[in-house]
Amino acid sequence: METVLQVKDLTKHFRQGRGEAVKAVDRVSFSVHKNEVVGLLGPNGAGKTTTIKCIAGLIKPTSGEIWLDGVEALRHPKKAMERVAALLEGNRNIYWRLTPRENLEFFAGLQGHTVGKVRGYIDELIELFDLKEKHRTPARKLSRGMQQKLALACALVRQTEVLLLDEPTLGLDVETSYELRHVLKQMAARGERTILLSSHDMHVVQDICERVIIINDGRVVVDDRVTNLMKLFQVSAYRFELEGPLGEEQELRLKELFPLLEVSATDHRTYIDADLKDGTQLYEVLEILKDGSAQIKSIGHKEPNLEEIFLTIVKGQLR
Amino acid sequence: MRYLALFKAQLKMRYIYLKRYYFDTLSMIITMFLVFLIIFYGAMALLGGATPTNSGDTLEGIVVGFMVWTFALVAYANLSWGMIEEAQQGTLEQLYMSPLGFGWVNIFRVAANFIVNALMVIVVLLLMMATTGKWLNLDVPSLIPLILLTVAGAYGIGFFMGGLALVFKRVQSALQVLQFVLVIFIAAPLGWLPFMKFLPLSLGTRLIGMVMIEERSLLQLPPGDVLFLIGNSAFYFGLGFLIFKLFENVARDRGLLGHY
Repeated sequence: METVLQVKDLTKHFRQGRGEAVKAVDRVSFSVHKNEVVGLLGPNGAGKTTTIKCIAGLIKPTSGEIWLDGVEALRHPKKAMERVAALLEGNRNIYWRLTPRENLEFFAGLQGHTVGKVRGYIDELIELFDLKEKHRTPARKLSRGMQQKLALACALVRQTEVLLLDEPTLGLDVETSYELRHVLKQMAARGERTILLSSHDMHVVQDICERVIIINDGRVVVDDRVTNLMKLFQVSAYRFELEGPLGEEQELRLKELFPLLEVSATDHRTYIDADLKDGTQLYEVLEILKDGSAQIKSIGHKEPNLEEIFLTIVKGQLR
Repeated sequence: MRYLALFKAQLKMRYIYLKRYYFDTLSMIITMFLVFLIIFYGAMALLGGATPTNSGDTLEGIVVGFMVWTFALVAYANLSWGMIEEAQQGTLEQLYMSPLGFGWVNIFRVAANFIVNALMVIVVLLLMMATTGKWLNLDVPSLIPLILLTVAGAYGIGFFMGGLALVFKRVQSALQVLQFVLVIFIAAPLGWLPFMKFLPLSLGTRLIGMVMIEERSLLQLPPGDVLFLIGNSAFYFGLGFLIFKLFENVARDRGLLGHY
């Protein structure tokens, strides 16, 4: 597979006044293949935005290398900018006094594309982002969601190989966030762009990304496919509800098998919480419970989601 | 072709602003004109029709000086206040990401601004000449290069202050003060204090006055002065641009480009 974005030992220290430097990003390395959609996760202040801005050439790294489609970005910034566009967090990214079409034409021109060459693509984007009705309205009069969609379209119109999206759904209400997610999903499905996306919203990441890189405290702590990550954390939590008390011998046998198992009891009920790796362990538990007097009332099972996985990893880091 | 596309995009944006916000454009022209009337008739009342100015020692000098000031002010504001506006609306980082380079983005911004600016100044100039009855020599082939050279100094100052704004953010009051310092540069009495030609805008204003009031052509101007103007403008424009690049680098190092 062809690598189009490679970050090698990226480090950024910010000097704060006369005090010591703060390490925002610390030897971060990862690579993204052509047309891959990768999520960049991490708690606030983990270094996501700094990483993205370094790739976009907006922040000068302290050390490290950034390769964009065979071009070393720090040595050849102009050439690198032909290969990357970004939608940045917390910014409007667009001209409020221009209409959607005028914005799109301006950003195409900024990239050096002549209007004639991109006209067809601009029409396509206006269609895709549902901006047709509003194509004569200045951007400031559009809804927040529309503005964000336009900002994304303005990044797309640059027609770069790599697209960086920093918190694209931040600050949007549930409905528009869903709408934007839908467009992103469509884009990802078309497989035309290589996307690095940072988000707090696990739904966005789980929905769109094939792979996630989790950074914490400026360092990469996980870099794996979403499906692998889900499998790895397939420590499905089961809860057994029993009518009546659990026998002493049974409890001992269970704890021998699963040291982390927890037993709690109310007047008539007993609850057993256990993390089971797979189906066979479930039968082992049932085997032990069968010998006792208590009757099984129910067995509950919960699938983990990416958010829990993320929290588990980050908390583990903190410990 | 890519550079032409970038220039066209910038020019089109300026044109759209001018047209869509015609009320702003109109009120700017009217304000300029009113300020001019106050200065002109004020000077006439005070000095009985003869003011010691930089170019020509006459009321015509005020017309010329005011025209240069209009040019210089818009040039300066476009880069200094303009940079702040772009940072606030979050488009500065997008401009910065142009593969043609932030330098070219700004050079074309200046060029587009100059063209649109010229259209507005012509309107103000015609209004000024019509109300005062002082019809000046409009030798366009001589005036264009002279005005370009003169205003280049104001763009240099604009770049300098724009760079300052990127790093220090709160420079609004300094920006306002400088707008009036431009008046001092333009009205510098070169006949009395010749060393003031080392300042930006001063000598250029005088040479423009020679063309418009004394009806000389560019070739009839003292060659030494024209050469000095070229050097002076190149110096201030170059210095401003260089310092801007310097501040831009600092902003990029500290991650300040997107903050405001």
